[in-house]
Amino acid sequence: MSKKVLNLARNNAVPIMFVIICAIFIPMSGFSTSYLLNEIITRMGRNLFLVLCLLFPIMAGMGLNFGMTLGAMAAEIAIIFVADWQIWGVPGIVLAMILSIPLSVALGWLCGTLMNMARGREMITGYIMNFFITGWYQFIVLYVMGGVIPILHASIQLPRGFGIRNTVSLLNMRQYLDDLLAIRISGVKIPVLTFLVIGMLCLFIVWFRRTKLGQDMRAVGQDMEVARAAGIKVERTRILSIIMSTVFAGFGMVIYLQNMGNLPTYTGHSQIGMFCIAALLVGGASVEKATIGNAFLGVILFHLMFIVAPKAGGFITGDTMVGEYFRVFLSYGVITVALIMYEAKKRMVRSRVGQELAAAQKEGEGAQ
Amino acid sequence: MKTRRKLFPILTVMVLVAIAAAMMVIGRGHTVYFDNRTLEGYNGQDFKALHRIVVTVKGEEAGKLGPRERGMAVWIGQNFEMTLEVTPEKGDEPEIRTIRLKLPYNMDGIIVNLPAVLAGLPEDAWLSEFVPAVPEEPEEEPFEGDEFGFGEGGDMGLGDI
Repeated sequence: MSKKVLNLARNNAVPIMFVIICAIFIPMSGFSTSYLLNEIITRMGRNLFLVLCLLFPIMAGMGLNFGMTLGAMAAEIAIIFVADWQIWGVPGIVLAMILSIPLSVALGWLCGTLMNMARGREMITGYIMNFFITGWYQFIVLYVMGGVIPILHASIQLPRGFGIRNTVSLLNMRQYLDDLLAIRISGVKIPVLTFLVIGMLCLFIVWFRRTKLGQDMRAVGQDMEVARAAGIKVERTRILSIIMSTVFAGFGMVIYLQNMGNLPTYTGHSQIGMFCIAALLVGGASVEKATIGNAFLGVILFHLMFIVAPKAGGFITGDTMVGEYFRVFLSYGVITVALIMYEAKKRMVRSRVGQELAAAQKEGEGAQ
Repeated sequence: MKTRRKLFPILTVMVLVAIAAAMMVIGRGHTVYFDNRTLEGYNGQDFKALHRIVVTVKGEEAGKLGPRERGMAVWIGQNFEMTLEVTPEKGDEPEIRTIRLKLPYNMDGIIVNLPAVLAGLPEDAWLSEFVPAVPEEPEEEPFEGDEFGFGEGGDMGLGDI
């Protein structure tokens, strides 16, 4: 019994730690329940789609997709066009999602191909890919848009005649998706349509796991060589998982931006991957295994901590900045811990297999 | 089987293009300005500004306009609809009218002359394009962000390193 509890605690150490942190911080922060609920629901609507898109590469054994930022960049380019063409409201959101698809597919294919070349080092490859593609993104947004690709509105274009301004206002798109079927229950706004969209993605993930491609991805994730021997096109399957993740990341970024109501052109995407991955890990996911439940729990706990930490920091030390540093430290820390745990587990398994092999060899020699 | 495999992506692309085209049409946003100003010399006739016009768009009051006043509303799509509560002269009983207008796709800002619309004049009489006097040069305003460095320096937390 105690072993079971110990195992459960060991396997869910990160979520348990965050539950404890939140339980301590919530009373210190002094926020009302309705305020916290409102904030959490808003943030779930804003971030869940992005976090869920990380599940596909994990399914295919490619770890945490730091390359999801590429999808975010594709969405940003799409949304700049939509804002320039003055397509507003839900149609603008849908159009931005559709426009982001070809870019996301191309970037996802590039990222997947590179990850196939750097097998075993997918996460660092994805992370560095971000910086590489960010350079291209900045070139396109800073020089090509307005210079080569016509930009009609001065409110978007830099005064020099080409390039996009630091901020693009999405006021005419702001929270249109969230507000369309929103209901209020005792002062808490629930963005029903956004949750429906997230629910559809969850259903898609559940359905997808059972399809041929989904099964192939899981097989590839478990053992690439066995999957190859079974006739699965391993490289193609891995690329497809990254493409799917990138495309959904693009959709997620559009949902995120419509909620925020503005686009910081040059920095909007920079931290997205990092914080979505941290949220997923906080929910109890690992580099090898993640579920929809992990995504939900992660977003709730991670964001709860983010909401209450500054006030709690202020309560403890008299300086809200301490809480601010604490939450940044935790979000980076949780990724580090997860990666260390993953590596330690891998080594442990490897050494156990080695020991078993040595014992078997010894037995064989003894029998002879 | 092979034909079906090829057909599916082509059909998907076609459906997406069709949806995108539909979104471009139904989602086109316009800023509509309502003028309660006298239209002078249209076919040799003047159409006087009215005492008061209350403009309601999508159930929300967009302006309570006296003579020479301007109101504004945003509209998505080309089939514009507004409700006007018109008081022609001081002391008159207000009359409520629902007006439907077709907005031109290529115009961002559209000025609608209400006395001309109420007189039932053709489009060239009541419609003109709103052109800002000076090109829009909005200030680079600080914007709302979230805690994830959204909108802050994209240094990935590395500071000046």
